Amino acid sequence: MDSAALLLSLRLALLTVAILVPIGIVAGRWLATRDFTGRPLVEAIFALPLVLPPTVLGYYLLVTMGGASPIGRWYEAATGRPLVFTFEGLLVASVIFNLPFAIQPLQRAFEAIPEDLRHAAACCGLTSWQSLWRIELPLAWTGLLTAAVLTFAHTLGEFGVVLMVGGSIPGETKTVAIAIYDRVQGFDMAGAGLMSALLLVLSVAAIAVTYWTSSRHRRKHAAAD
Amino acid sequence: MPPPTEGLSVELRQERPIPLAVRLDCRGGEVLALVGPSGSGKSTILRTIAGIYTPLHGRIDADGETWLDTATGLRRSAHQRSVGFVFQHYALFPHLSALDNVIQAMGHVPPAERRERALRLIERTNLAGLEARRPARLSGGQQQRVAVARALARDPKVLLLDEPFSAVDQVTREKLYEELAALRRDLRIPIILVTHALAEASMLADRMCILHRGSTLQADTPLAVTMRPASPLVARLVGLKNIFEAEVVGHDSDRKVTLIRWFGATLEAGRAPQFAAGARVAWSIAASHIILHRRDRPSRGERENPVAGEIVRCIPMGEMTALALRVVRGERADIFFSVPTHVAERNGLALGETASVSLLTEGIHLMPVPAAL
Amino acid sequence: MNRYRRGWHRLCLALLALVATPVAMADAPLVAAASDLRFALDDVAAQFARDTGNTVRIVYGSSGNFRRQIAAGAPFEMFMSADEALVFALAGEGRTVDDGVLYAIGRIVLVVPEGSALKLDPRLQDLAPAVADGRVRKFAIANPEHAPYGRAAQEALTAAGAWKTIEPRLVFGENVAQAAQFALSGSAQGGIVALSLALAPGVLGTARYVPIPESMHRPLSQRMVLTKRAGATARAFFSYLQQPAARAVFKRFGFALPGE
Repeated sequence: MDSAALLLSLRLALLTVAILVPIGIVAGRWLATRDFTGRPLVEAIFALPLVLPPTVLGYYLLVTMGGASPIGRWYEAATGRPLVFTFEGLLVASVIFNLPFAIQPLQRAFEAIPEDLRHAAACCGLTSWQSLWRIELPLAWTGLLTAAVLTFAHTLGEFGVVLMVGGSIPGETKTVAIAIYDRVQGFDMAGAGLMSALLLVLSVAAIAVTYWTSSRHRRKHAAAD
Repeated sequence: MPPPTEGLSVELRQERPIPLAVRLDCRGGEVLALVGPSGSGKSTILRTIAGIYTPLHGRIDADGETWLDTATGLRRSAHQRSVGFVFQHYALFPHLSALDNVIQAMGHVPPAERRERALRLIERTNLAGLEARRPARLSGGQQQRVAVARALARDPKVLLLDEPFSAVDQVTREKLYEELAALRRDLRIPIILVTHALAEASMLADRMCILHRGSTLQADTPLAVTMRPASPLVARLVGLKNIFEAEVVGHDSDRKVTLIRWFGATLEAGRAPQFAAGARVAWSIAASHIILHRRDRPSRGERENPVAGEIVRCIPMGEMTALALRVVRGERADIFFSVPTHVAERNGLALGETASVSLLTEGIHLMPVPAAL
Repeated sequence: MNRYRRGWHRLCLALLALVATPVAMADAPLVAAASDLRFALDDVAAQFARDTGNTVRIVYGSSGNFRRQIAAGAPFEMFMSADEALVFALAGEGRTVDDGVLYAIGRIVLVVPEGSALKLDPRLQDLAPAVADGRVRKFAIANPEHAPYGRAAQEALTAAGAWKTIEPRLVFGENVAQAAQFALSGSAQGGIVALSLALAPGVLGTARYVPIPESMHRPLSQRMVLTKRAGATARAFFSYLQQPAARAVFKRFGFALPGE
């Protein structure tokens, strides 16, 4: 059992969620409430990581963030550490890669709110922010939970991008998924098996929580007009 | 035209995507009904006043404040306008209790007073005891009252109601009519009510504004609109069935009537000097001003514009019987009217029988003929 | 509902604590090591820790990948390559302090797992016939594009005249350790892997192996070098690897030592 890798993965997943949930709320609400030409294109771009092979994303991230790129060089000059092969680089990759998992559930949740409720909030004198905080988010909270849980579980399992952009540096970029891969190569099947089982349990728990809360929510608000 | 310092003044103009050509005013304390078939733009106008919809061109002034002026680019967003809006399906916040729904509109009230004020409003709208319930556990009528309370909680400058009674049953509706009538006695703000039900408008409104495809055609008291519609289109929209064309013969200033010729008969209509002799006019008459010549009880009224014909429609509908009298065969000259069923029976009114009616002069209203009827 | 909220709050606090505490990361230097060194180097590193009290963090992989990563700025302080050409390339690019030091010479072996009917011929002469009659359906080597042991395997197969026949049946490991995994897991009927891996305890199991003559491939001159980022501990480890204690470990794992 590689506890450093486990801790690293948990940290990466939690930070990704912390960064992506606000982004998901803003983007999801924007896509749900504003109709503009080119919206399908924007939605498609946000959905890209769903279908893009992880290695393709990894490749493009290497090109744009790597040591030879302007961004990479600027970052290293500013902080003394490269952007790739570090935890921060991994975090950047993780945020990009999980965009659709955070945005789509929230967008659906905001879309499910009847438009007249937003209008009613405005007529009550609530600003857009107050409407979001007091009216829309409470009604969209299952979408929020789904977004958080999916992002969390997906980050834990991410492999291809992590390998390409992070390398496999213990304590820095060696996530649980990488550690499992490494253990198998090291003929430590027991260790690999233990970590795999743990990931499996975490993933199942995450999905179960999502489905359970959303069905509770559906039952509670079923009779609402 | 300078805007009034009190009350609401609205002017809207646009062609796409929803055509609008609106000019209306509503004084403080007055109930104005926006009436028209579905698709006539009534809800859009209401939403424009609330600030939820922005037209291409327009100006809205309310109680001295300019809320919209496309000419100068001024536009106050909805939450900056002091508007009370009751939505057709109430749009109550499902996760909040009735009381909390009302409190949401009280951002302008000091926090310490909000709860008490909200409770008073709850009482005023006959919801006492229900304030802790969520909308899902309230009946349709109760939800409507919460919506009204929430709209009033805003201390609005204008109260807007979008077909607020359409979603409840008849019995509840009548109760709500009474409550609205009681409420408005205390409100000194303009109230605009959108409805497609003429009867509702006539009952609740001080003035009625007839809408057709986004254009305000006529705004006047319900009686004036039904008795003196501005055009055949308005006449149709307010449900008048007797709309015909005739030719002006002349004016009699002594007897204060205008003579028109209609299918060979000369009728005396209410005085309308704006039409020249020989001009083609349209005319309408409300069913209330058509008197049956009763065989069992002849009256003096028989001398006023008598018209005879064959009964081509005789449908008893409960207490009243709907009739149509064909005055001239082969032409569009059917006069629609109704009499109490017992009268119809006693006078032997049936299909194919002849009958005659009197068209009361003051009920015959002349209108210009539109370019294409 | 309140009970739920309190539970949620506690969970959130716990998660926050988890995120906030930095992962216990030593400033232990990063060493990029070729996969064939996996078990040998672990032993040496353990000894190093016992003797000096300092630790190193070792990342195993294919030498070609590391060469690319270091060129892209990966924060390794030391590179132990299975192919000295890669070290020279990095030196030429200015990534290293010098040209490095030859630390071992590697050997490749043919492995045949239990149940496979492949003959254990060090000259690889049974391969072509085995493919022809179906005894060998899959054969594992490391990827010749970036793994030195894969390149050596390809050279040996070519020298044996078996490359053309076996090529369609090849399974490529990311590095020689993965190739060994494939070869020994039962999914392949044999493979060419590093001797050092075959000698590691618990790896072969019931499989058999035979070293392949060095004449059949270019020498696997394994060279190590300090990068420009190297700190004191890395330098200490670098010299430690050239001491008798470390050399003994390498010898135990089948490496030939320079100067012997």
